[in-house]
Amino acid sequence: MDEPQTIPQYFLQRVREYGTGKIALRQKEMGIWREFTWADSYEEVKAFTLGLIMLGLQRGDRVCTVGDNDRQYLWAYIALQAAGAVPVGLYTDSTSKEFAYVIEHSDATFVLAQDQEQCDKMLEIQAHVPNVKKVIYWDERGLWNYDSDWLISYEEVQALGRELAAQEPERFETEIALGQAPDMATFCYTSGTTGLPKGVMLTQENLLYSSKVYINVDPRYDTDNHVSFMPMGWIAEPVLGIASHVYAGMVVNFPEEPETVRQDIREIAPENLFYNSRLWDNLVAMVQVRINDASWLNRQLYRLFLPIGYKVADMKLRGEQPGLLLRLAYQLGDWLVFGPIRDQLGMSRVRSAYTAGAALSPDAMRFFHALGINLKQIYGSTEVSGGATLHRDGDIKFASVGRAAPGVDIRISPEGEIQIAGPTVMAGYHKNKEGTKEDLLVENGRFWFRTGDAGYIDKDDHIIYLDRLKDMITLANGERFSPQFIEGRLKFSPYIRDVMAIGGEMRDFVTALVIIDFDTVGRWAEKRGLGYTTFLDLSQKPVVYELVRAAVEEVNESLPETGRVSRFVLMHKEFDADEAEMTRTRKLRRGFLAERYGDIIEALYSDQETVKVRATVTYQDGREAHIDTEVHIMTVT
Amino acid sequence: MSHEHILDVRNVSLSFGGTNALLDVSFGVRRGEIRAIIGPNGAGKTSMLNCISGFYRPQKGMVLFKGTDLVQTQPHKIAGLGIARTFQNIALYTGLSTLDNLMAARHIHMKQSFLDSAVYWGRALREEVEHREFVEEIIDFLEIAHIRKATVGALPYGLRKRVELGRALALEPELLLLDEPMAGMNVEEKEDMARFILDIYERRGVTIVLIEHDMGLVMDISDRVVVLDFGRMIGDGTPDEIKNDERVIQAYLGQA
Repeated sequence: MDEPQTIPQYFLQRVREYGTGKIALRQKEMGIWREFTWADSYEEVKAFTLGLIMLGLQRGDRVCTVGDNDRQYLWAYIALQAAGAVPVGLYTDSTSKEFAYVIEHSDATFVLAQDQEQCDKMLEIQAHVPNVKKVIYWDERGLWNYDSDWLISYEEVQALGRELAAQEPERFETEIALGQAPDMATFCYTSGTTGLPKGVMLTQENLLYSSKVYINVDPRYDTDNHVSFMPMGWIAEPVLGIASHVYAGMVVNFPEEPETVRQDIREIAPENLFYNSRLWDNLVAMVQVRINDASWLNRQLYRLFLPIGYKVADMKLRGEQPGLLLRLAYQLGDWLVFGPIRDQLGMSRVRSAYTAGAALSPDAMRFFHALGINLKQIYGSTEVSGGATLHRDGDIKFASVGRAAPGVDIRISPEGEIQIAGPTVMAGYHKNKEGTKEDLLVENGRFWFRTGDAGYIDKDDHIIYLDRLKDMITLANGERFSPQFIEGRLKFSPYIRDVMAIGGEMRDFVTALVIIDFDTVGRWAEKRGLGYTTFLDLSQKPVVYELVRAAVEEVNESLPETGRVSRFVLMHKEFDADEAEMTRTRKLRRGFLAERYGDIIEALYSDQETVKVRATVTYQDGREAHIDTEVHIMTVT
Repeated sequence: MSHEHILDVRNVSLSFGGTNALLDVSFGVRRGEIRAIIGPNGAGKTSMLNCISGFYRPQKGMVLFKGTDLVQTQPHKIAGLGIARTFQNIALYTGLSTLDNLMAARHIHMKQSFLDSAVYWGRALREEVEHREFVEEIIDFLEIAHIRKATVGALPYGLRKRVELGRALALEPELLLLDEPMAGMNVEEKEDMARFILDIYERRGVTIVLIEHDMGLVMDISDRVVVLDFGRMIGDGTPDEIKNDERVIQAYLGQA
């Protein structure tokens, strides 16, 4: 047999390979993990595919789907593709109005709506979506008394399918054989923070290639477990879940309820995990809170072994081999501390864990590596079928989002935009030629997707994501830099509380106003027997300048040369929301700050080494006093 | 026999020393209805419920459940007859999990002998599985799967109320007595609870007697309402009749 080209063709191949001999899916129901073999899946998918055909589904039709992840959803997804239709995922918490927009825009002919909640939304918009022939549900709770013939149950559809199977036993296989790599596999509607959502059209080749990319870098085996909890309408689940399921034969596990996901993950202990960076941050906090509540002995063990964990993690990340003694100590820590924590997090078997979204702080990254969790950053977008870059084992840099995935080409445009080409690039936006033309550049027959993100590639081929292109600031010499990126990275240092990075079309280089973290720098000074009186006094100590200079230099190393911080000043006071220097949510008010500290900023761009400032002190009784002082300016080479 | 009474309260009087908690109260509960008991504080609502569940023994009168006089029945046998209740102040095994609380309620339906359970094999194991399945259906029904293994004492109030309802259902009652199931809940929790009560009634065909303070809710979900005031029954009828009853309005709003 030829190499399969579509997800349903891979599905058939797996069914023939495993049959009744291997578990394909598990779903927790009534407190028990129920198991389904590949042969079970085959019967279910076949009956549903043929049922859809009996209802009048045509090849190329779009079908919207919505519900919590479960086995029927997965079977339906494969069945839709088997019948040549294109699943379009909706989100369970979307409003009926949002449903109506996507259903109309994608010209869906059927809608799969899991339960009463979703069916109610459909009934609300029935008059607005005349093209939808039937709404198919599979959780009948609460729907017993509905008498709309627009609704039909999953079982009823399958019963129709079995009738057709009796007449045409080969029909299912024939339908699947019609599928080809360039066929549309799914439309993903992007969240659309600006304007209406766009329907990203992805082909079978897109999805399968994207899935294979991960498998090439981080192998998946048919003994692996995947926990399916990300919404199917989002690109990650079709690629990491469904495509990998049919390609590598990995077992898909469905949680009992959305509320039980974390417990269910712990019970399954999957080999691969994908969370966004905020969730990883939350996990760090959760572990620390739990440790504080733990018994005295456990707390002591944690304090004893965590530094060893950090040491080993840092060495491995630098590519060094820890010595025998350290390895032994780490092994002991693994038995006593790290292993049990991993178990609590459901990561006792995890081989590769991914983070995406905002940059994860190096501290959080080191923390998980210290615990023995192989956490990697990925970067991508729906338009390129998910991940376009990822970290490889033993080649992890905190500042980067990894190297380009195999077979995927990444380049930086003259404007500094990250552009992506390769077999994962989408076919375009549905019914949006303008948008497609704008975001897909055609060069020598290749399509380059414009991400709208600014970034650069360092000497080790690592891609560093900076910011959205529109938030970049241009310098006088035409170079661009991202203030938020610099500020964010600098604030990862425990000694720095706030930063404002400065540049602009009148300036030749980047400078920064830095505010030290009074608590941590104070403690650092005390430990060294360094006396200080006030914030002002501490901030102007030469050793503190050296401390911050080290942090700035470290960040500079991850920046392109033209966008590095050349000079900085340690401010004599903190930015204060009461003085309108920041918003209440601690966002900088840049315009106001630039004006208020105009003298200092001018000095940063001159060759002065100090600058006079007049600080206003407000006493508690409301009286004000002025202190005239001097702050130093440091030049970083 | 659509009007067959599953429960008949006849001329019940209960006093503590010289205080009359209930005075000559009579009403019937039809099979398959939601019957509410309302009244101001101290009207004797909980006393009435306690008389039905056998917790109190009225000095006079009869409480007939399917023909058996509950006043003459020992309290521990009443549960076996098919009556379950929840309490105003939640009475669960706080140290046990949700699951164990519900399983504990199944014991009146368990037939295994001491020896069977000691060996825990064959019959005893089969029985345990059957009961676990029954309990799991309730967990699914009440949407408490995420707290299945959680210790009940650590749960928030609204969830504990739901677990208590689950335990009452695990007894497989024909008659369910609910003592202020929605007290202390916010609007959303109340709506959830009302939905569960209606589902229990519609899907499981359980007859329900409930005490509740939230008038709007009582009027929405109950078929018939009994009104008590200082131990006396001052009204009995459909929610619409009760709303317009002079004596009821007086009892609630005071003398005009």
